[in-house]
Amino acid sequence: MIAAPSQSLALARDEGRAAAARTRIAVQGLAKRFNASGREFVAVDDVSFEVKQGEFVALLGPSGCGKSTILNMVAGLLPRSGGRILIDGDTVETGEVNPRVGYVFQRDTLFPWRTVEQNIGYGLEIAGVPKSERTGRVATAVEKAGLAGFAQSFPRMLSGGMRQRVALMRTLILEPEILLMDEPFGALDTHTKLEMHKTLLEIWERERQTVLFVTHDLGEALTLASRIILLSARPGRLKEDFDVAIPRPRDPVAVRETAEFARLYSHIWHSLGEEFRRTRAD
Amino acid sequence: MSNSRTVILFWQLAILAVVLVVWQWGFEWSKTLLPKAYVPKILDPYFVAKPSLIWQSFLRLGCFADATGFTACIKGSDNNLWLATLVTLKNTWWGFLFGSASGIAAGLVLGRSDFLSRVFSPYIVALNSIPRIALVPLVILIFGLGDLSKIATAWLVVFFVVFFNTFEGTRAVDRDQIAAARLLGASEFTVLRTVVIPSALAWVFASLLPAVSFALIGVIVGEFIGAERGLGKLIIEAEARANASEMMVAIFVMMFVGILLAIAVRSLQSYLLRWQPQFEASA
Repeated sequence: MIAAPSQSLALARDEGRAAAARTRIAVQGLAKRFNASGREFVAVDDVSFEVKQGEFVALLGPSGCGKSTILNMVAGLLPRSGGRILIDGDTVETGEVNPRVGYVFQRDTLFPWRTVEQNIGYGLEIAGVPKSERTGRVATAVEKAGLAGFAQSFPRMLSGGMRQRVALMRTLILEPEILLMDEPFGALDTHTKLEMHKTLLEIWERERQTVLFVTHDLGEALTLASRIILLSARPGRLKEDFDVAIPRPRDPVAVRETAEFARLYSHIWHSLGEEFRRTRAD
Repeated sequence: MSNSRTVILFWQLAILAVVLVVWQWGFEWSKTLLPKAYVPKILDPYFVAKPSLIWQSFLRLGCFADATGFTACIKGSDNNLWLATLVTLKNTWWGFLFGSASGIAAGLVLGRSDFLSRVFSPYIVALNSIPRIALVPLVILIFGLGDLSKIATAWLVVFFVVFFNTFEGTRAVDRDQIAAARLLGASEFTVLRTVVIPSALAWVFASLLPAVSFALIGVIVGEFIGAERGLGKLIIEAEARANASEMMVAIFVMMFVGILLAIAVRSLQSYLLRWQPQFEASA
């Protein structure tokens, strides 16, 4: 499969949807084993799933179930012990960066010596995008993230939520078609988290990137995702796969009052509860 | 109240006044007030001069009070205070520049390469264990009495200080920040330029402030052991004539040179590290 040139991104996306949603991410029999002080333990065991064009998939599971490990292998940050990962039909090689894939970290990885706009413009700058073009695109991104007035600030002057917005925009400005997110809002307080959900929903409902979103927060998964993949406790195995048929555009507060949210919440909660009990029994 | 700026300034000036007064007249007074056995030798102007004599020497060495006029006096002497200061300052600057540049380069290379750092580690430890001053006669033997041997001495003392800090700083770079840069499309070199170097800069600067003083020390020691010009040479000449006040002049000028160099490094530091909280006010 041939990558669409970046200027025809929007077009490619529409085509993707028209062609009955092609597979963007294919994970097949994925396994990961670690060696901890001579003892081998299995973190991820035989996980297979697919993510189609324009899907927002949440990878949900109890802490330590290997969901971040799966994401890092998909991103090529971590070597895998077994199985295959294909992005647009091409095998993911560890250490190789796919320009169509964007990644948002859980931890704050902003560059503290760069201002907000320099952080957001980083990817464009190193790609050699001329300054005249960069300035406009960065300004739009700053605006979109609700960071107007903070363009010249250094990260340490910002709140945790604002910093994560900058991190999100630093990735989104490169217009990735596939977005991998590793509990990006895990460290934020409830209120800030809802604000971030609102921002992300607005962006995604407009741009419809293909998203794989790791979280242990069931409410977050139901608010954002169009599909939830539930993983078992360690070793991480596929447990269940749900479609989240809550209509869009969604509002992060109103969404909680829908019948679908309540139904899935109690169902998945029950299923997740079993896994938490298993984790504790270990 | 007691730590308001005025009060602090008052005490600072008071201390200065007491030191100057005791230095100037303390020896005379103690001779009349105390039995001979208790007269403090340290206050004897033969050893430590005294402010009025130092001031006169300063005017003379600096060609401020010469009968032939300022310009003629400057031209007439090959190691007047101005020329000596300029030579010492120039050699300190080049020694500092070469020393820190090579220290930064070596620190970055070894900090980024596990293989090289393990290969070189015993040699670095061994070389760093040599007291640098012990090498000065050798350096003068190799590079002669001119400026080059002073620059080389300053280089020797500066290099390791800067090297070790850069090395540690390079090691301490946040791995997730490097991963983030990679995922945003950075090549190995771009990561070095845009993540490793800025991140290690705080460590580098922590060493540049002592390094600039070390460079000055290196140059002065070099001038003591063998030189044609410079402030160190001025001191050695004055010592030969047992002229304490001229030595004091050179010492005070060195102090000012040291302060100026430290201010220069400090202001560069607060500009380049303005993203760090402790430099916010000066940014």
